[in-house]
Amino acid sequence: MIAIQLDALAKIYPGTIEPAVNNISLEIEKGSIVTLLGPSGCGKTTILRLIAGFEKAERGTVSLDGKVVAGNGIWVPPEQRGVGMVFQDYALFPHLDVYKNVGFGYKGEDRRERIMQVLDLVGLQGLERRYPHELSGGQQQRVALARALARRPVVVLLDEPFSNLDADMRAQMRLEVKRIIKNAGATAVLVSHDQKDALAISDKIAVLEAGEIQQVGTPREIYQYPENSFVATFVGQTNLLKGKIGEDGCSVLTALGKIPYNYTHAYQPGEQVNISVRAESLEMSREGNIKGRVKEAMYTGEAIDVQVVVDLPGGESLDLVAHVHPEEEVREGDMVAFSVLPNFVKVVGDK
Amino acid sequence: MGFLKIFLPLIFLLILSLTGGCAGDEAEENSGSSGVDGGTGVSGELVVYSSRNENFVEPLLQKFQDETGINVRALHAGGAALNRIKEEGHNVQADIFISNDIGGLEHLRLEGFLQGYNFPGIETIESRYRAEDNSWFALSARTRVLMFNKDLITEGEMPGTVWELTDPRWKDQFAITRGGNSGMIGHVSALINEWGEEKTTTWIAHIKGNAGAIMQGHGDIRRSVGAGEFKFGLVNNYYFHQQLREPQDNNVGVVYPDQGEGEMGAVINAAGVGFVKGAPHPENAKKFLEWILLPENQREFSYASLEVPINPSIEAVGEAARITDYSIQGMPLRELGDVWEDTRKFIEQSGLDLEIR
Amino acid sequence: MRRYDYHDGAANMQYNLKYKISPLYNRGTWSSIIKRLWGRLWGGNAPDPYLALLASAIGLLMAVPVLYVIWRSLFAGAERWTRLLDTRIPALMQNTLSITVATTLLSIVLGVSLAWLVYRCDLPGRHLWQWVLAIPLVIPPYVGAVAYIMLLGPTGWVRDLLGAAPVDIYSFGGVLFVLLMFKFPYVFLICGAALKRMNSSYEDTARSVGMGTWEMFWKVNFPFLRLAIGAGAILTSLCVLSEFGVIALMRYNTFTSAIYYQMESYDNISATVLSFPLIALTLLFLWLEFLSRKKQKFYQTTNNFRKTETIKLGRWKPLAFFWVGSVFLLSVLLPLSVLVYWSVFGLAGGALDSSFWGYALNSIKVAGLATLMSMLLALPVVYLKSRYPSLLSAVISKISSSGYALPGVIVALGIIFLFNQYIPWLYNTFFLVAVAYLVRFFPQTLQYGEASLNLISPRIDEAARSLGYPSRKVLFRVIIPLLRPGLLAGGALVFVSSLKELPATLLLRPPGFDTLAVRVWVEASEAVYHLAAPAALLIVLVSILPLKLMLSKY
Repeated sequence: MIAIQLDALAKIYPGTIEPAVNNISLEIEKGSIVTLLGPSGCGKTTILRLIAGFEKAERGTVSLDGKVVAGNGIWVPPEQRGVGMVFQDYALFPHLDVYKNVGFGYKGEDRRERIMQVLDLVGLQGLERRYPHELSGGQQQRVALARALARRPVVVLLDEPFSNLDADMRAQMRLEVKRIIKNAGATAVLVSHDQKDALAISDKIAVLEAGEIQQVGTPREIYQYPENSFVATFVGQTNLLKGKIGEDGCSVLTALGKIPYNYTHAYQPGEQVNISVRAESLEMSREGNIKGRVKEAMYTGEAIDVQVVVDLPGGESLDLVAHVHPEEEVREGDMVAFSVLPNFVKVVGDK
Repeated sequence: MGFLKIFLPLIFLLILSLTGGCAGDEAEENSGSSGVDGGTGVSGELVVYSSRNENFVEPLLQKFQDETGINVRALHAGGAALNRIKEEGHNVQADIFISNDIGGLEHLRLEGFLQGYNFPGIETIESRYRAEDNSWFALSARTRVLMFNKDLITEGEMPGTVWELTDPRWKDQFAITRGGNSGMIGHVSALINEWGEEKTTTWIAHIKGNAGAIMQGHGDIRRSVGAGEFKFGLVNNYYFHQQLREPQDNNVGVVYPDQGEGEMGAVINAAGVGFVKGAPHPENAKKFLEWILLPENQREFSYASLEVPINPSIEAVGEAARITDYSIQGMPLRELGDVWEDTRKFIEQSGLDLEIR
Repeated sequence: MRRYDYHDGAANMQYNLKYKISPLYNRGTWSSIIKRLWGRLWGGNAPDPYLALLASAIGLLMAVPVLYVIWRSLFAGAERWTRLLDTRIPALMQNTLSITVATTLLSIVLGVSLAWLVYRCDLPGRHLWQWVLAIPLVIPPYVGAVAYIMLLGPTGWVRDLLGAAPVDIYSFGGVLFVLLMFKFPYVFLICGAALKRMNSSYEDTARSVGMGTWEMFWKVNFPFLRLAIGAGAILTSLCVLSEFGVIALMRYNTFTSAIYYQMESYDNISATVLSFPLIALTLLFLWLEFLSRKKQKFYQTTNNFRKTETIKLGRWKPLAFFWVGSVFLLSVLLPLSVLVYWSVFGLAGGALDSSFWGYALNSIKVAGLATLMSMLLALPVVYLKSRYPSLLSAVISKISSSGYALPGVIVALGIIFLFNQYIPWLYNTFFLVAVAYLVRFFPQTLQYGEASLNLISPRIDEAARSLGYPSRKVLFRVIIPLLRPGLLAGGALVFVSSLKELPATLLLRPPGFDTLAVRVWVEASEAVYHLAAPAALLIVLVSILPLKLMLSKY
């Protein structure tokens, strides 16, 4: 069942030449959580606003629950789309208390029960009479979420929902929001520029750049198998290397030697390509054939981010990033050796 | 519904006040039309616009209302009243216009806003003090005089003619009004009539430089002369009488200029009434015009403002000279309207237009 | 989930990034052309047509004086134009511009310094000062001028004491001083309100980078106040442009006084020609204000609001107290004392009869009606301008400010012109007087309403719409409740301004309809001050209540 279908959407803001978003086509399954991930200005929020009906596309259609709501001469105003929206600044009504905020727009007979039910879902029982300015950031976000969910919307849209929260609260709310949305059985589209949010919460991720979708996939697909160099560098840390497809068809010949990978592809042996080698795919081992000197080592708790300078034959050198297990002892200036794990290696095109 | 709580009463109030306003209007209109339909002129209402000070006119209008039973609705709007009559040409509201100067009345007549009528009793007003079609007539005259502060100057030292004001020895010792003041426009009209444009231009240029202050109105002059800010000022004679009645600063005297043998005589202007063309209550208007020509009412009209009755058979107010007691410059007042526009332009070009200092 | 038109790997990079966007609508039919033009006008963000229509109608009503001026001046002829341009306009322009700019600039200095001391510092009695310093706003400026002429004039009381007048009150400085004393509260009030709702995070940041109080004022408070200063300055400057009473009493000359004098010598057409430079100046000031606030739009979220801390004045306290006290003495205490002094005479002489209360009631009735209308009509205009910025909404809001800068008599004649011919059933009702007040003082509600709405994020509207409310309902359920304090404050300002208004009242009132301001004029124009004073005092007293309401709301 498809909850949201976007077909060839394009939006140009007046006074600009470059489209804010261009040729956006996307299908989102009912009950899934999808994140639009990209740097600021990539058009992700515009897509959200196009779905909600706050913007009109110049081209293309938006369908919700199988019905076209925008495009083909049809225009359904936002209030009739049955979309719940959680804004970046939450946009709670300052003159209404929590109860009235959540109940805003809910017309059913079971108004009271529903409000209490949603408040229960977001864990805000007992705060019904508080006003927004009397709540913490996390509580405000829950109210915003409860308000968006109360009307049992077809989809819930969340615009940078975690950006106003501090780090602790953020990690906690990611789990919370995911739980709440799943429990509510809602379809959700999130916008984020933070890969951690995206990877943690999403069923699917759509990576955007310059108004276009670069790749759509599960978090694992996006991380492990980026389809182009932008996705590879934007999500996680990676090393981009030039190379040639090996004769065996499952390795690439690079300046660092032969790098194996196990992802089927459409390239012919001998073709010039770029590959992405994730920082995690460089495993420190004495037998490793990539040798270099540690330029910088940063202990993050989960891993050690290491920058290694590899001297290439012919006098050139290459900088690599690698994540080393935190138990290892690595200091600046140490000589280290790596081998490449094939799991996180991906051919990302020839550019 | 916080919105409704606040705004519903407000909207209710709005509607209430609107309907209240309209209902009142309707009632007035009904009574007005009954007056016209009846044709008797003794009921209904009369709408009077006046540019004179309200305190001068209101008692008289009250008297009319008491005596005739006609309900008088008056608009006292100062100089702007005339502009309202001009603006209302398409939907005339006023029956009678009471003007503080003849220039305004003749101006309205020339622009076609007044209508003529032959009133019984009109002959008590000398013909040079009324319109050729009797659409307006003057009732009270004021004379351009030099009022002085007796603490600062004696009558003997005072200039005897307006031309003497050009003498440098009076520099900064007297006050005049700005050129846009209707009294001043009337005065300059008379001077042009007497002297011609060239000499008048010279006169304006000199007194402009000589005057210690050029003020907005004559009230300012009488107060400042009374208080000793200036030795004397060029005002209408009733301002002198008013100043005499002040509880303080009242040690003032008056000189009627140009009274000598062969001199032009004092310049006068007058206040009067006009019959508005297309008046909604014409019968009541005629009634009023006839009524005001009754000697006692003529007297009332000029006494209220301490002016001099145009009708010489009526005794002048207390200290004032009768209109026949002094010599008067010869230009007929009705010509004022004709030359009004030219005089105004003339004054403007001579630089006295509206400077106040 | 599946993506259309998407291929693995290199293929996706070959997309043509900039293919042509084909038009959304079919060309040809009229409705589609209109639709397209309409869409283009709003830059793709078109409002509810009813809202646009309503706001346009309001804009048209506010444009009546301007349209009247244009219509009348068509008959001026080239000769009159050149005569006025050569002889009158240059000097008048210099006079008008100099007094307006000087008054506005000094109002900013005075208003901002007082607001900062009274709203941000630990000045003794600060809460009392906060509203006491707003009182000059409700004292009719011509009353203030009369009071100062009596005190400092060439024959004033000070001369009687000292033997000579200490200053020349009839000078540029004198006019400037009197105008300043009675106009500074516009800047003071709006800046005070802004300071009150300033979030402490700005100041905390400044403190954390080591700024002192003085530096912080210039680098944090002052820029933060720019919007408020702009709004206050525009109200001040336009109000000075249309001021007549003080200008005439103090023997100064501006376009407005020139227009009055021209009117008095029955030359309506020259008067309208002289109104043109006034309209041009209005546009100039509005444009300057627009420039000053460009890219200054920000929304303050109430969610994280924390009040700022009071600044300790320390050894500066006596000096600050002296400054605030002097302004209070000169702008409130002195003129009110003169007023009370004369009122005592008047009341002893029986000035207070039954008709007096009738005048007061009339005043309240018309001013109240104007206030209600201004609050209701400001709503669509403010909403349109803030939420749907476009040429049309900018024109509507600019034109709505013109009545504020034009002389009352021009506004009145414009309204007579319209209603006498085309809407005669309303003519000669006091409703017209209220309409004149509305046209004259509408920008006051606009400025306050706009300032309030600009603090409400458009996300709030969108949130309400996504919750199932069409835009009209959003206006009633969300925007109006949030805007209410601002609208009430602006309305209160319209009320006190209307109570004082004279020229339009004088000309537009139905015969027999008297207000307090008219009574003040009737008596004061003949210098019978003891009879004028009680009415003037009553204007002040009646205004105090809405003034307090405004200060508590905003």
